[in-house]
Amino acid sequence: MLSHFFLMVLYAFVVSAFFALLWRRGRREQAKLFLQLFLGMVGGGLLVAYLMYPFPQGPPAPIP
Amino acid sequence: MADTAPDAQPAARPATPVPPAIPARTFAPVGHPVVVAVAAWLIPGLGHVYLRRWQRGLAFFLLVVVSLWVGCQLQGELYRVAPNQPLSLLGTLGAMGMGIPYWLLRYGLGYSGDIVAAGHEYGTAFLLTAGLMNWLLVLDAWDISRGKKE
Repeated sequence: MLSHFFLMVLYAFVVSAFFALLWRRGRREQAKLFLQLFLGMVGGGLLVAYLMYPFPQGPPAPIP
Repeated sequence: MADTAPDAQPAARPATPVPPAIPARTFAPVGHPVVVAVAAWLIPGLGHVYLRRWQRGLAFFLLVVVSLWVGCQLQGELYRVAPNQPLSLLGTLGAMGMGIPYWLLRYGLGYSGDIVAAGHEYGTAFLLTAGLMNWLLVLDAWDISRGKKE
């Protein structure tokens, strides 16, 4: 449940399904928009993760 | 130096034909928009069910509830107005979009989230997303009720 990747995929799934249902009417158009949004979010997240990979992590954030 | 006199007027452009205005698509109004919007706000998806969009209403309900449930499982923050933190007002308005579940969580179950939980930030995103999604559902139901959407 606490896997970052799993939570990212779950979030992308929920948001993509929501907007596909909200913005499109036909099943085919809904499936197309869902795939575009879902792959865009997951792929974009992975791309940003790889772009940030060279940067050092730094010390852990203090717990307030 | 310019060849033309300073007071010369530019040649008039030929009149371009104006395309005919495309009439906006309208649909038959359904129900009372205010009642539909309030129903949509109180319970996610209820506005669409009221408008006889059964499948979409049920799907929207499930999506908002899943987002809400995951956010609570991760101990995300349920925004409330904090003194000297004006941005918390925006977060509160966004989270309040989920309607009855917000009040149920906040006052009925005393939920507030756990800031030291490992999934706190993710949970906050899920909870806020649930509220914002329902705000969009309210607007969608409002437009359907007024006949501006199908």
